[in-house]
Amino acid sequence: MKRTVDVNIPLGPIHPCFKEPVRLKCEAKGERIVGAEVELGYMKKGIERIMKGRPWQEVMFLAERVCGICSVIHNMVFIEAMEQISGILVPPRAAYLRVIANELDRMQSHLLANFSYCYTIEHETLGMYLLDLREQVMDLIEQLTGARVTCAYIIPGGVRCDIPLPEAELLKASLDRIERDMRRYTGMFADGPMIALRSRGVGILTPEAAQRAHVVGPTARASGIPVDCRLNHPTYRQLGFVPVHRADCDNFARVMVRFDEVFQSIDLIRKCLQDLPKGVIRGGGVCKAGETRYSGEAPRGELTYFIKSDEFGRIVEIQIQTPSIMNIEACCHEMIIGVDSIADVTSTFISADPCIACTER
Amino acid sequence: MTTYLYEKDLVPQKYRILVANRHDALVRKIAAELDIPVQELRRYLIEHLDMILLENLPARYEMADANADQDDPVARVLGREKYTLYLPILPDAAMDAIFHAVNDRVRAGTAMEDAIAYGRVQIREVLRR
Repeated sequence: MKRTVDVNIPLGPIHPCFKEPVRLKCEAKGERIVGAEVELGYMKKGIERIMKGRPWQEVMFLAERVCGICSVIHNMVFIEAMEQISGILVPPRAAYLRVIANELDRMQSHLLANFSYCYTIEHETLGMYLLDLREQVMDLIEQLTGARVTCAYIIPGGVRCDIPLPEAELLKASLDRIERDMRRYTGMFADGPMIALRSRGVGILTPEAAQRAHVVGPTARASGIPVDCRLNHPTYRQLGFVPVHRADCDNFARVMVRFDEVFQSIDLIRKCLQDLPKGVIRGGGVCKAGETRYSGEAPRGELTYFIKSDEFGRIVEIQIQTPSIMNIEACCHEMIIGVDSIADVTSTFISADPCIACTER
Repeated sequence: MTTYLYEKDLVPQKYRILVANRHDALVRKIAAELDIPVQELRRYLIEHLDMILLENLPARYEMADANADQDDPVARVLGREKYTLYLPILPDAAMDAIFHAVNDRVRAGTAMEDAIAYGRVQIREVLRR
């Protein structure tokens, strides 16, 4: 006679579907997951400890090394926090250029996340198409900032370099091409019957559970919670930003929210290029003593820096709350619980776009 | 959770998470609210919560402060939702039992402060079990 037994399934730390090492200890009853525990510590950098006591000029480079996928927003949030402490104003042209860099970064991060999801559900063709598009976006980031990953583009009181007219035209043309391809790939994902079987109704995260765990970013927006730090950012408010959200609460919704946000980023960049104010890109300023809590919208959600600096601009205290902490926690304690198949554990985990580098910082 | 033969000892890593500035301030705040020693609370958290939940404690606490137990003053003072749903420190059944016991005492004419103090003692008992 068949008997249902409790099975313990450790996934990772090295797993073909995980971009970074993490260990998930799942407890299953038959095929159904009834509990999960996360084990971290495979890539701890101790970067907050390294930052302490160093001048802001060094910490700004360390900040973007917290995460290789969303380095621009770490740079932006750290610098904007220092600007808030020191009362430094940013010229309008530089503020728009910051939005362009940040949205390009969001596009490549979302494309990589959706590639990972497609790869996990074994739709490698679509995954590779998305990875190809991501490379094109990375080229645009390099064109704008001079580097692909650790750009250090945003500095107190402005940005490091301007965008010349020919490059702006090239950026527009590239965005047109990327948007055309994106429409095709989004259609492939949205209409794929096999994709729907693996994604719709899987990994449900209710709005109540999302709210309790303080879930942020596309993971929260796919559960019908329209939270977005860009709503509080003055430049985004000028651009008339409205967050995308869906109410399906499943893996499919999380991937589709990211697809929708790529289109939204393209529109925001076009708007920035169209309305790009004339003038200087660096207003100057001196970093001073103070203490602040500053949040910005990273590709994965709300990224918060708690900073205390001294009168020489040295960082006395710093704490970084990355969005992946909240999203991974909710994923492992809410989304994965009740999943009907072991195969859906990895796809559900990847649908939350977990970033272990950010989590372990 | 099940113990694996090849399991690492996570206590030092969990402890490092809990003594980070923000986490340490929060643990001290919860210890003061529940009136238990900080070291005892740390040990309880390390034994009962996994690493990612420990990392997420400050965010969950902020959400609890903003949203938990809005309607019932007794539940708010005891932290009925805060310490079960938002910060899964106490088992639901134990907290429910304590909450009902406190409410029964209030209905029977015990002063609110005394009933809450009784509830706190019960919570400490659960944490020490």
